[in-house]
Amino acid sequence: MQLSILLITLGLMGVAGWLILRAVWATEGPSAPKTINRTRSCFLWGMIAVGVVISVGSLREWPHTSAADDALIVNITSGQWWWETDTTEIPLGQQVEFRVTTEDVNHGLGIYDPDMNLVAQVQAMPSYTNKVVHTFDKAGQYQILCMEFCGIAHHDMTYDFEVLEQN
Amino acid sequence: MSATDVYSAESGPNPQEALVKFTMLLGGVVFLLMMVFGLIMRVAQGDLISLDPEMFYLLLTAHGAGMVGSAALSGAAILWFFSARHLNLRSSIYIAFLGLFLAGVVLILGSIFIGGYGGAWTFLFPLPAMSGGLWEAWAGVMFCVGYLLIGVGFLLYYLELGLKIASRYNGLLGGLGWRYLFANNSTDVPPPTIVAASSVLVFNTIGIVFGAAVLAASIVNLLLPSFEVDPLLAKNAIYFFGHVFINATIYMAVTAVYEILPDYTGRPWKSTKLFIGAWAAVVIFVQAVYFHHLLQDVNMPAWTMAVGQVVSYASGVPLIGVTVFSLAVYIKGSGLKWDLPISLLTLGVVGWGLGSIPAMVDGMVSVNKLMHNTQWVPGHFHTYLLLGEVAMAFGFAAWLVRDKAVTTLSSLDRLVFRAYVFGGAGFVLVFLWSGASSIPRRWAVHYEQWQLQSQLASGFALIVVLATLVLVVRYVAGLARRSQ
Ligand code: HEM
Ligand SMILES: [Cu+2]
Repeated sequence: MQLSILLITLGLMGVAGWLILRAVWATEGPSAPKTINRTRSCFLWGMIAVGVVISVGSLREWPHTSAADDALIVNITSGQWWWETDTTEIPLGQQVEFRVTTEDVNHGLGIYDPDMNLVAQVQAMPSYTNKVVHTFDKAGQYQILCMEFCGIAHHDMTYDFEVLEQN
Repeated sequence: MSATDVYSAESGPNPQEALVKFTMLLGGVVFLLMMVFGLIMRVAQGDLISLDPEMFYLLLTAHGAGMVGSAALSGAAILWFFSARHLNLRSSIYIAFLGLFLAGVVLILGSIFIGGYGGAWTFLFPLPAMSGGLWEAWAGVMFCVGYLLIGVGFLLYYLELGLKIASRYNGLLGGLGWRYLFANNSTDVPPPTIVAASSVLVFNTIGIVFGAAVLAASIVNLLLPSFEVDPLLAKNAIYFFGHVFINATIYMAVTAVYEILPDYTGRPWKSTKLFIGAWAAVVIFVQAVYFHHLLQDVNMPAWTMAVGQVVSYASGVPLIGVTVFSLAVYIKGSGLKWDLPISLLTLGVVGWGLGSIPAMVDGMVSVNKLMHNTQWVPGHFHTYLLLGEVAMAFGFAAWLVRDKAVTTLSSLDRLVFRAYVFGGAGFVLVFLWSGASSIPRRWAVHYEQWQLQSQLASGFALIVVLATLVLVVRYVAGLARRSQ
């Protein structure tokens, strides 16, 4: 997923950069044609149209999934600089709702798969419980990394759990 | 420029020139120093040196606050300089602004390097008061008071701009150009710099007031821990302030492009209805967009996230469709001769525009789930700061000390410019790649599989630092030459 995001972004930046540079480097050639204001209007409306499509397409199904009735609930507490969970074993394919909070400052729950790809995250905030729903589709050793700067041992604030295939 | 302008390029020196030159010197030196801090952090993440994590987080805090501060300072100097072409601004106000700013800097540096405050430039509540034993409450207080002084300085600065714009352009609405935009009254249409100044002063004043409120609350909390603040409310106020403030730096600096580019192209940058409309949109968008910092705070109402995503995209429309597009149209076929100032200024607009793309992408709720607080984030903001605001600032500085007899890029200038672009582009692209590799931001220690990227980035960063060193030296030499 992240790779696609990166490639799409770089593609867009590349195309935009190339278009701009083509104009900017052409100082000696002809000026922009008289129709440039029309071109710009089309471009602006085009950007708006694309924006509407992307917005509707990406928000119609709300990106923060809510849990089904049979979701497994895992409570997570955190503090400087530790994590604590109900369980360290999660069944493969089971939808899980993590309910996250903290006893001191803000932290960030980042769930990393066995290949160290971030698969889901949510903030941990004092006096709030934040929920994130995820279904694990790969078994193995997962890690929680802290995603919100919380002081000197922020980078040591990690925790392991297991996603197990059910027999 | 209209005939009633107090100052024009032909009518003698800009009365603010000496102060602004001095400010750009300060800004340039601090940029350079903070880049060295940045380089040290990246090198440490690459495990090429061993740096105590405590020191890393102090440097991170100093780098964040110092860079945002220098961007604000250089942007403010640029805006002041060009506003003085159209308004009679009082130097005494600027001196007060600068004095408060420097006093703030002293407190902030003291809090970090003497008090050990390492709570990052965003002072996310309640971290300043809960250091885990790293720093005492007084250091947190000192940091917040330093910010407040800078904020007060800015409020003074904007008050002066606002007063002078209101009396010269028939109220702030006149300065914003809204009388022309909405009532079609085309007498005394403000020039682009005044439209920008009016817009920035409106939204940044609001931003600073929110920042001051949450700083005051943090200070009380530091002194009286029983005084509690709602952490989600505090986070809203901090990011509203932080987002508006850092964006204002670029919106101030871009006036250098409006005012300088015409000297090179012979085509004035015009206050068209589209231009004024784009700025009107910016005033709204820049305030509404901060919700994209809270997309993983799922207790925020869903509509705020939708607004954050949609406005993130919408913000790119005036930027790319109006500012960048106009730049390209003004330059194409103009016969412009590239020298260092105009190369850097152009780079600044292009880098700003391109940097908005990864920002818009990360503004999507679904993408943010995977990219939030990874190095993707420094990836996009270094693009529009390092290759945006800072490029504009150094372009403006180079223009201040330009040798009018020289109209081309000397080979040293060309080398420096290319090094800055190459090093900067490489540096930000590695950040984006690292973000896509799930590497979290603000980690003092990187796992082994992440270190190669940090090392590569260090190489690029070194090139940027060297190029910037030459830019600063060149500016100092230019100042010395001109004062002879
Ligand atoms: C040679 C140039 C630069 C280098 C090597 C550099 C390096 C860094 C590094 C390593 C970080 C921390 C990344 C992480 O979170 O893991 C960082 C963060 C940051 N940088 Fe830079 N940077 C440079 C230029 C700039 C410029 C020009 C600006 C703004 C004008 C800037 C503003 C910031 C800010 C605001 C942060 C965030 C600090 C935080 O997370 O609290 N940097 N930079
Ligand atoms: Cu943390």
